[in-house]
Amino acid sequence: MEDEIRLLLVDDERLVRRSMEKTLFRGGFDVTVAENAQGGLQSFNAARAEEMPFDLVILDLHMPNLEGVEDKNAGLQLLSRLLEEQVDLPVIVLTAFDEVARAKESLKRGARAYFVKGREAQLIELINDILEL
Amino acid sequence: MSNKDVALAAHRAKLLGAASKVTRNITSILNPSQLLRETVDVICEEFGFYYAGVFLIDETRRWMELRAGRGAAGHKMIFQKHKLRMNGHSMIGRATGEHRALIALDVGAEPVHFKNPLLPDTHSEMALPLLVGDEVIGALTVQSTEVAAFDDEDVMVLQGVADQLAIAIQNAKLHREYQYLLRQAERRSRLLKVASTVAKDITSILDLDKLLSEMVDVICEAYGFYYAGVFLLDEAGEWAVLAAGRGKAGATMIAEGHKLKVGGFSMIGASLSQRQGRIALDVGDEPVHFKNPLLPRTRSEMALPLLVGYEAIGALTVQSREAAAFSEEDITSLQAMADQLAVAIHNAQLVEDLEVAHEQLLRTKTFEAIATATGEAIHWVGNKAAPIPASVNRIREDLTRYLVAAHTLLSSQPEEVREHKYARLVAQGVAQLEERGVELSPVQGKLAHWSWRRLRRMVSVESILEDLDIITGSAAAILRIKEDLIGPARARRIQSFAVEPLLRETVASMGIDKGMVEFAVEEGLPLLCADRMQIKRVLTNLFKNSLEAMAASETQRLALRAYRADGTGMVAIEVIDSGTGIPPELLDKIWVAFFTTKGDSGGTGLGLPACAQIVDALGGGIVVASEVGVGTTFTITLPSVEDKSSPTPQASAEAVKPTLEMPQDLF
Repeated sequence: MEDEIRLLLVDDERLVRRSMEKTLFRGGFDVTVAENAQGGLQSFNAARAEEMPFDLVILDLHMPNLEGVEDKNAGLQLLSRLLEEQVDLPVIVLTAFDEVARAKESLKRGARAYFVKGREAQLIELINDILEL
Repeated sequence: MSNKDVALAAHRAKLLGAASKVTRNITSILNPSQLLRETVDVICEEFGFYYAGVFLIDETRRWMELRAGRGAAGHKMIFQKHKLRMNGHSMIGRATGEHRALIALDVGAEPVHFKNPLLPDTHSEMALPLLVGDEVIGALTVQSTEVAAFDDEDVMVLQGVADQLAIAIQNAKLHREYQYLLRQAERRSRLLKVASTVAKDITSILDLDKLLSEMVDVICEAYGFYYAGVFLLDEAGEWAVLAAGRGKAGATMIAEGHKLKVGGFSMIGASLSQRQGRIALDVGDEPVHFKNPLLPRTRSEMALPLLVGYEAIGALTVQSREAAAFSEEDITSLQAMADQLAVAIHNAQLVEDLEVAHEQLLRTKTFEAIATATGEAIHWVGNKAAPIPASVNRIREDLTRYLVAAHTLLSSQPEEVREHKYARLVAQGVAQLEERGVELSPVQGKLAHWSWRRLRRMVSVESILEDLDIITGSAAAILRIKEDLIGPARARRIQSFAVEPLLRETVASMGIDKGMVEFAVEEGLPLLCADRMQIKRVLTNLFKNSLEAMAASETQRLALRAYRADGTGMVAIEVIDSGTGIPPELLDKIWVAFFTTKGDSGGTGLGLPACAQIVDALGGGIVVASEVGVGTTFTITLPSVEDKSSPTPQASAEAVKPTLEMPQDLF
């Protein structure tokens, strides 16, 4: 569907990723998933190449980074990289409740919001707020 | 030979015989008073004299005291402390003054009146100086009942006896002095030995309370003292606080918080401020009153400062029941011991300080470790549990949608359909949802609004089943922690077994493609001495890690090597993969429980800590080396049957004792 909002979800935890994908789908979004930073960057670039860029990107923080190495800051790395490509890209960073420092760091680097995993219903509201839907 | 000559010769022979007997007797006696007593008896008996007595010069060297006298007269005079002035007018006085024997006879040109009422029958007297070299040490008097008993020859013979006696007296005196010195030396050596024993004992005790209480006991026992106590300076250096005291008195005073002001009037206070030992004796010029009611029998007290370098750290008091208990020797040896004690106390205090610091450090570290482990654990569990609420919500939503859809459909049906038991079942379900406060009209609106295409994407049993799987999977991941935690705690069963079959068996049981595994096991490798099951768990874990690390690699090669570790009797097993490798900064973290790098694989992050725990418990070790982009090598070393210190394989089943050791490090 042409008019659907396109989201990119990058998370390495299979069950978390799938559950969130379902939630977002039910929220009415067109969701593409990737399981690490490399995959996320690939999907992002591919979508831009096809001139169907993502409206919003949701990033996990702790996952394999662009070099394929496990990294607690992989999400921050990818965030910076994506914002280099597209300055106005809305990005939501997924964090655990105890990762406040990294969450703040992500906002400093240009993320629109951070979202604490586990309250997926509120994620829909957050996305709607950011995209002013 | 005339008769007179014969008689003279006989007399001389008798004299010399007597003299030789006397001197033989004299020289064999080393006890001075016994020597003198026996000498006067023997002289009288052998020479047939009425009386004999020995005078010795007193300490003032002005008087000669009678030290031995024959018979009752002698006893009485000694009792009366009979003495004569040196160089005085008495025969004895003159004989010692002139260094020669004098004779007085109650006849002839120089008649003398013998007026001693205790010796009424004396008619002749001879006084002989006792000379050692030129020194007069006393005099010998012999008296006879005969009127003219002595001639020159008698004088000569008796002077010989006197000379022998003088030497014997000197010998006995020297002997006694020697004995005294010997005793002193023995005492000193005993005290030093005690001091050294005490020093050795105490310097090895690092527990301050134990050190001090043993110290006071040892001092009292070794020296036979009534009481000993150790005071330690308080932090401000103002008070000496009793830290240990002998017996009940000590315990009572410690309980009362007994302390003495430094520089105060107490001996301890003075010894501390002056950094000098103090003695108080209940005798002589400086009588002291000891008034501690807890130590009523103290008659002497010594206070010694405990010095480390120039710094006083406390003081030692020792107290005796005897009036003048402390000799120079005691002071010297006790001060030596006090110095040792001071060093020992200082050591113990340093250790105590160190322990406090260490404890604080440990507490901080432990807290940090717990906080870290707990944080990691909560983070990990939170992550694993994160999808559950969303899945539950979706299932609830799906249930609602299906029921609403069915109910809406049925509502438009004829009554007989609506009354069908299935229709009524659906109606009941909807009613129950409403009772729970679920708003149905938005759901109804949504469902009505959606196209069939959208509807079938949005509502499906597939989705429900998947969400149930998500919940199951998340719960399973969380529950796996239990297995990972309890695994190492299982009872160990040590047995001997070959490495290679275990490696091959583990590879096979995991369904690993044999083509990617390379075995290199050293020829004649000794059997391992370990728990085979546990080692299999460890290997399984390591292989699993390797496979995961290689999942994205182009070349997937797992090399398994086993060889003798150098000279230790241990066997090393290497698990080498061609995986992504572990960055250096993460290398030490892989041993931390709950630290996991695996997002998707469902690892709990407990695998490697559990492996380390198992290997460690078996007396082995595990290390890791890794290079990002090249691969990782885990090396396990385990005891073999060639390792003398290896655990003995269990001979019988009953020897297997399940020990539930929770792996504490994991938290």
